[in-house]
Amino acid sequence: MSNNDNVQKENDGSMRAPRTVGAGLFMILVGLFALYHSWGLTTGTTRQLGPGMIPQSLSVLLAICGGLLIVEGFVTRGEKLEAWKIRGPLFILGAVVIFGLVIKPLGLLLAAPIAMGIGGLASSETRPREIAIFAVVMTAFCLGLFKYALSLPIPLAPWLIGY
Amino acid sequence: MKKLFLALCVALGFAAAPAGAADYPTRPITLIVPFAAGGPTDIIARIAGEYMSQSLGQQIVVENIAGAGGTTGITRGSQAKNDGYTIMMGHMGTHGAAKALYPKLKYDPNKDFAPIGLVAGTPILVVARKTIKANTLKDFVALLKSRQDKMNEAHAGVGSVSFTTCSLFNGIVGVKPTRVTYRGTGPVINDMLAGKVDYACDQIVNLVPQVKAGNLKAFAIATPKRSPALPDLPTTTEAGMPEFQVSAWNALFAPKGTSKEIVTKLNQALDKALSTEGARKRILDLGGVIPEGGDRSPEYLGTFVASEVARWNKVLKK
Amino acid sequence: MMELVDNLGTGFSTALSLQNLGLCFLGVLIGTVIGVLPGVGPIATIAMLLPLTFKLDPTGALIMLAGIYYGAQYGGSTSAILVNIPGEATAVVTTLDGHQMARQGRAGIALGVAALGSFFAGSVATLVIAALAVPLTKLALLFGPADYFSLMVLGLAFAIVLARGPLLPAFCMIVVGLLLSTVGTDLETGEERLTFGMPNVVDGIDFAVLAMGIFGFAEILRNLENPEVRDVARTAIGRMLPTREDVRRCVKPVLRGTFVGGLLGILPGNGAVLGPFASYTLEKKLSKRPQEFGSGAIEGVAGPESANNAGAQTSFIPLLTLGIPPNAVMALMVGAMTIHGIIPGPQVMTKSPELFWGMIASMWIGNALLLIINMPLIPLWVRMLRVPYHLMFPAILIFCCIGIYSVNNSPNDVILTAFFGFFGYALYKFGFEPAPLLLGFVLGKLMEEKLRQAMVLSRGSFTTFIENPVSAGLLFLTVVVVIVAVLPSIRKSRDEVL
Repeated sequence: MSNNDNVQKENDGSMRAPRTVGAGLFMILVGLFALYHSWGLTTGTTRQLGPGMIPQSLSVLLAICGGLLIVEGFVTRGEKLEAWKIRGPLFILGAVVIFGLVIKPLGLLLAAPIAMGIGGLASSETRPREIAIFAVVMTAFCLGLFKYALSLPIPLAPWLIGY
Repeated sequence: MKKLFLALCVALGFAAAPAGAADYPTRPITLIVPFAAGGPTDIIARIAGEYMSQSLGQQIVVENIAGAGGTTGITRGSQAKNDGYTIMMGHMGTHGAAKALYPKLKYDPNKDFAPIGLVAGTPILVVARKTIKANTLKDFVALLKSRQDKMNEAHAGVGSVSFTTCSLFNGIVGVKPTRVTYRGTGPVINDMLAGKVDYACDQIVNLVPQVKAGNLKAFAIATPKRSPALPDLPTTTEAGMPEFQVSAWNALFAPKGTSKEIVTKLNQALDKALSTEGARKRILDLGGVIPEGGDRSPEYLGTFVASEVARWNKVLKK
Repeated sequence: MMELVDNLGTGFSTALSLQNLGLCFLGVLIGTVIGVLPGVGPIATIAMLLPLTFKLDPTGALIMLAGIYYGAQYGGSTSAILVNIPGEATAVVTTLDGHQMARQGRAGIALGVAALGSFFAGSVATLVIAALAVPLTKLALLFGPADYFSLMVLGLAFAIVLARGPLLPAFCMIVVGLLLSTVGTDLETGEERLTFGMPNVVDGIDFAVLAMGIFGFAEILRNLENPEVRDVARTAIGRMLPTREDVRRCVKPVLRGTFVGGLLGILPGNGAVLGPFASYTLEKKLSKRPQEFGSGAIEGVAGPESANNAGAQTSFIPLLTLGIPPNAVMALMVGAMTIHGIIPGPQVMTKSPELFWGMIASMWIGNALLLIINMPLIPLWVRMLRVPYHLMFPAILIFCCIGIYSVNNSPNDVILTAFFGFFGYALYKFGFEPAPLLLGFVLGKLMEEKLRQAMVLSRGSFTTFIENPVSAGLLFLTVVVVIVAVLPSIRKSRDEVL
């Protein structure tokens, strides 16, 4: 991952590794979020550690590490922040969420092609006709493999056959 | 493809003549087991399910939904459609102790179910590491009382059978030992074999081989009668603690509002299964106790659940 | 010695009956399939197949179920190498160098070495079980809560060595993993922690959900953004099978991996998970070319894969000799035995010798069958990499979705995986490596449990970790590992500053 082209060559101001600084901020955010939500749990004593002890101390530790990362980002050279894309996450993760939402009501027979169709939009190389045929073939394959060969209890088409 | 075609035909058949309780069951029945596969409740559920499906003519499919002392699975079961195609295996924890242990419980063991019948109980033993300086229950209780602050009791987590039954035991003895929590019965037995913890209460199924091999000391069995699996082990009554009577019972429930005909059909299938030689032998081999006569009826289970809820409420709310 | 030969004779005559041989083949075949498929694990499959085994005799049933378990360990490396998705915690390490090899067009070699290493490790571990199962049981009883906690601390130290890049981000990932492991119901009080009211995490986040999210889906997102990287793997397909030189380089790592993995596998409480991590750490430190690790070092596949399979076999020891299951799959095996009227415990060996020795013999046969099934499949797997990526990723996507759903039959798990996919994407954008996170996650739950048990048993005194010889030794080893791992990188970072 250490891509040399991406490393900032000259010293342009005080922040030398924007990605490391961003990473530090992200860790602080995660730490504070966990700390906030585990705040109400009892900490306990050393003899009887409470449910809150471990999550709380880990959250604080994480935030401290995040702070150290930020310091490091100002002292050592490092990489720039990469741009975040929207298309990939939106369609891939969207497809997963939709699959989760429709698997029970619609069953595998429809959920699988829907998910693959939406997921396919994530790539610019996808051709509609190709993905349509592929989705049908894959769905048939998944039915055979998961439903019949492994006999997993996945709903097939509840709206049609009741299970 | 052939299966799909068949399924389609069946589906169309449904559409033409909606199935009533009279034809029940016309498709596989889901049996929710609220614990991980492989545990004592799961095993009893699978044995009962296997033999019940023989007389029902439809497969009973076990679905394990574990979590939160069994209450996750029972919550899901209580919200299922009450058409008789989803039933569940409740037990001492989910339909007795849970109400006292989980204040946010999403179901009422007394009101949200149609009881089908008791399946089997597994007796509870009091066991200790083999190096402990006591050989009878009386000696052990005396030891426990004199060395209260040094004793470590191990249990398999809040809400587990070992936790609730040992709460009862400690209450009767009148001690407050240090209680060490483990994730499941396996690690409890492991650390007791290694002598890291002192004693525990648990279901007979998990303990028989270790007691027989002399790796653990058993003091008493908390049932009115001795178990054929460990015939030398005295009952709690014989050992001088008659008030310690407890068994990890398992029973079938349907969601509230399931029609009476369906409940009766399921109860009859259960009754038949519990009278079958194969099922009886399997359950007895586990050290289980099979209910007989009137104890198998749905009505008995209903009143039994009410008494269990009241009892555990008293023990655990202390 | 004669006794051992006799016993193995009994075992092989049982295991080689036509029916048992067939069941063993069926078991390892199913195991391979579910191991390759992301998400679908041995637990769900064995639970599904339990009712079918009702009609079989207990020995046959257990031979088949055991085959599913170690077959799945075998198959798990395939998806780790080909598509960078660890189906099981033990396959996480294989993604590090195995998938890098695949990207360099050496997928066939990686798969071949993994199969050969696993076969060797499985065979040795089977022999160990046969000869030493009973004395080794004592090892399992040696570990109390304090010792166990120290072992887990040592395990976390491995994660620092695992990391390809700088130490601080790797340490952050461990902490995030530990934090994620605390999600769920508190064991001692029954309180819900960090569950946000989601019913599917009440018992903790499922490993498959986390791994599919931050490895599987995040990997797809990564590949979609960097078409150059992934296309190399497609165009440059080199040798299908390892050369003699490859095999020679792997001999020692395989031997060491087998030893380490086999030893850790005996421990109760899923010590087998640590095996591959320990082996990787060992190989990286012993290697003359440690810089190759993380970018396709063959030793980094051979060692951990052997450790994985050796551990999978030796984790049967506590089950067979004590009747205590060291992990969830073994707990299911206890159930299977009980359903068939055999209560697992110290008596199994004397009461049902055909079952005991038959199962052990079948493990060796199963390992041989796995090799026979898997070697011819390698060219097929490698050819699959040629499928254009815009068709490959929808397929991976749907396999992952179905796999996650099947773990608990929970649609919410699928949606949660999407969230972790996004989390993994964010980690990637900030330059974090996710492997240490998974190690932290896997060890976290047990670590907290053991820490709290140890503190309760010692009545609140931290000295219990040093007073205890086993625990003290493990902590000392941890310090050594950390020093050895940290020193070079401190020197390096000092050079980098200004």
